Amino acid sequence: MSTSTAQSARIGTVRRWDAGRITRIVFMTFVALVFLYPLVGFFAVALRSDAGVAGNTGGFLGLGGLSWSGIQHSWNAIIAYGGLDTPHVYLTWLGNTAFVAVVGGVLALIAALPSGYALARLQFRFQRLILIVTLLAMVMPNTVLVIPLFLEVNAVNAVGELWPVAIIMGFFPFGVYLSYIHFRTAMPHELLEAARIDGLGEVAIFLRIALPISKQAVALVAFFSFVANWTNFFLPLALLTSSFGTQTISVGIQSLISSSPLFNPTAAAGTPIKLYMPELALATAISTIPLLIVFIVAQRFLIRGQTVGAVKG
Amino acid sequence: MTTNTVPTRVGAGTTVRPPGRRAHPPMRRREVAGAWTLMFPYIVLLLIGGIIPIGYALWVSFQKSPTLLQPDLTGFGGLNAYAKAFTDFRFAQSFIDIFSVLIIWLPIMIIAVVGLALLVHASPGRFGAIMRFIYYIPGALGGVANLMLWVYLLNPSQSPISGFLHALGLTTIKQVVATDGDLPVILSAMLLLQGLGQWVVTVNGGLNSIPDEILEAASLDGANAWQLAWRVKLPMIRQWIGYAALLNLAYGFQLFLEPYLLNQVASGALPSEYTPTQLGYWFAFVGHDFPAAAAMSVIIVIITLAIGLVVVFRSGLFSVEEH
Repeated sequence: MSTSTAQSARIGTVRRWDAGRITRIVFMTFVALVFLYPLVGFFAVALRSDAGVAGNTGGFLGLGGLSWSGIQHSWNAIIAYGGLDTPHVYLTWLGNTAFVAVVGGVLALIAALPSGYALARLQFRFQRLILIVTLLAMVMPNTVLVIPLFLEVNAVNAVGELWPVAIIMGFFPFGVYLSYIHFRTAMPHELLEAARIDGLGEVAIFLRIALPISKQAVALVAFFSFVANWTNFFLPLALLTSSFGTQTISVGIQSLISSSPLFNPTAAAGTPIKLYMPELALATAISTIPLLIVFIVAQRFLIRGQTVGAVKG
Repeated sequence: MTTNTVPTRVGAGTTVRPPGRRAHPPMRRREVAGAWTLMFPYIVLLLIGGIIPIGYALWVSFQKSPTLLQPDLTGFGGLNAYAKAFTDFRFAQSFIDIFSVLIIWLPIMIIAVVGLALLVHASPGRFGAIMRFIYYIPGALGGVANLMLWVYLLNPSQSPISGFLHALGLTTIKQVVATDGDLPVILSAMLLLQGLGQWVVTVNGGLNSIPDEILEAASLDGANAWQLAWRVKLPMIRQWIGYAALLNLAYGFQLFLEPYLLNQVASGALPSEYTPTQLGYWFAFVGHDFPAAAAMSVIIVIITLAIGLVVVFRSGLFSVEEH
């Protein structure tokens, strides 16, 4: 895929430094710098001291003001946040997020791979209906269901608990669609027929033949669902809002913001821990590290699966 | 693209198989039993995460709303909850707010996505790949991290664009966000930075599916890079542009995180029910009026479902419509 892409892109592009090529490269680099400029500045804030950020020192984007003692101070403030009932609640939030993201991701895999296989390779009633419902659920923004999901979870008295969040995150129609495309394109039909003639049942064919050649699909579904779960905001906000200690990191960072003297002087007046921009930026930056790790791990699968993944974006 | 180049095999009777084998009843029954076994975990999650909540919200939306005098009021209330949602003074305004964001954001978004995707596609090798990756980073960080990035950008006291903000006479983040007319522009900029990268990747995927022969033929006919992009590539990714426009439109209707959190950093100076989803959230969590909250979400589901149906059946990207 990538080689043919490079070839097709090269066609029509004369390989010399003409005006069009220079304009294109300058423009694309300019856009990239517009994207990078605030990002670099923001991550620099996470590594600066309170006084440095407040006094706007440190030169270009504050990069001259990076300070180890500033990082230590910020980290101590983040860890101390939470009070007596919920000590170092920031770590609890990270743990909660890891729990729902991993359990949700595993459930998504358990559901998506066999169903994607059945939808692509077998014939049964309502097959087309299930596929259409899956596609609809995939293209609709998942936040539209949050209030209905809250009403459902509230009806079984489970608001404030982590497990309903994890189960709901396991419903990942995009993963089903990815697996469906994978099994429609990647598995030779003769393999299936041969296994049938050998007398294997459908479930055994899936487990012993289809699954072992599906590392790519497993990696893609796991990656996309983990990232979606880790960054999900509205679902945990609605389902966990009543209990401080069971929130996930995205909702937790919102709590940090609302208790900062920068934005809410009155609410912050009574608390001993003052969270300014460096603390908030560090808490945010640390919360994105797991995303970075799974991205690096999944990268080689992502490049090959990019066109399939592109349907959802 | 995989989705529209592979011949469809959805639905009964489309698969070509050796005649006779399929008609064999015991074998067929085994296939159906196996299929439902494999489908089982997903069906359970589909019910819990999709079908039951929608059905339940529909049911709740036809219940009576509790009142201050009767907080435990229940029973069939007909269309009362819908009437309550419709006549709420914030209802129409929340849709006007959404439109004021969409009208700024959507055209810029589509032009930027298509333009950058064409540029990335015209950039072979490492340079294009690195650019595409950089455009992708802000979207990959996720909603709350992105919001914090914007708090950093919009707070005049330490913003890297503080000179610009001071020139506009803005000295606090509250002023920046809450000055009349600023919010739709700020929300548009946030959505643009957040969504641009992943949609460039998507539309780029569409561009990659254009057969090499077509591009080669156009080159041989003497088309330069600009003509190739404008006359050949652009018409061939029309369906991808439509797909991007519709999905972003649906995304705009459910806007919640950005206005909700901006209101927090502006110490409550913004309307807390700026968008329809925020109004639904208000009904559920502040008003404790579940029927009205359910009615509100049924309305939003219907709007996004209508957009979703157009995408699935009319965009030409999913093979279900071939039947």
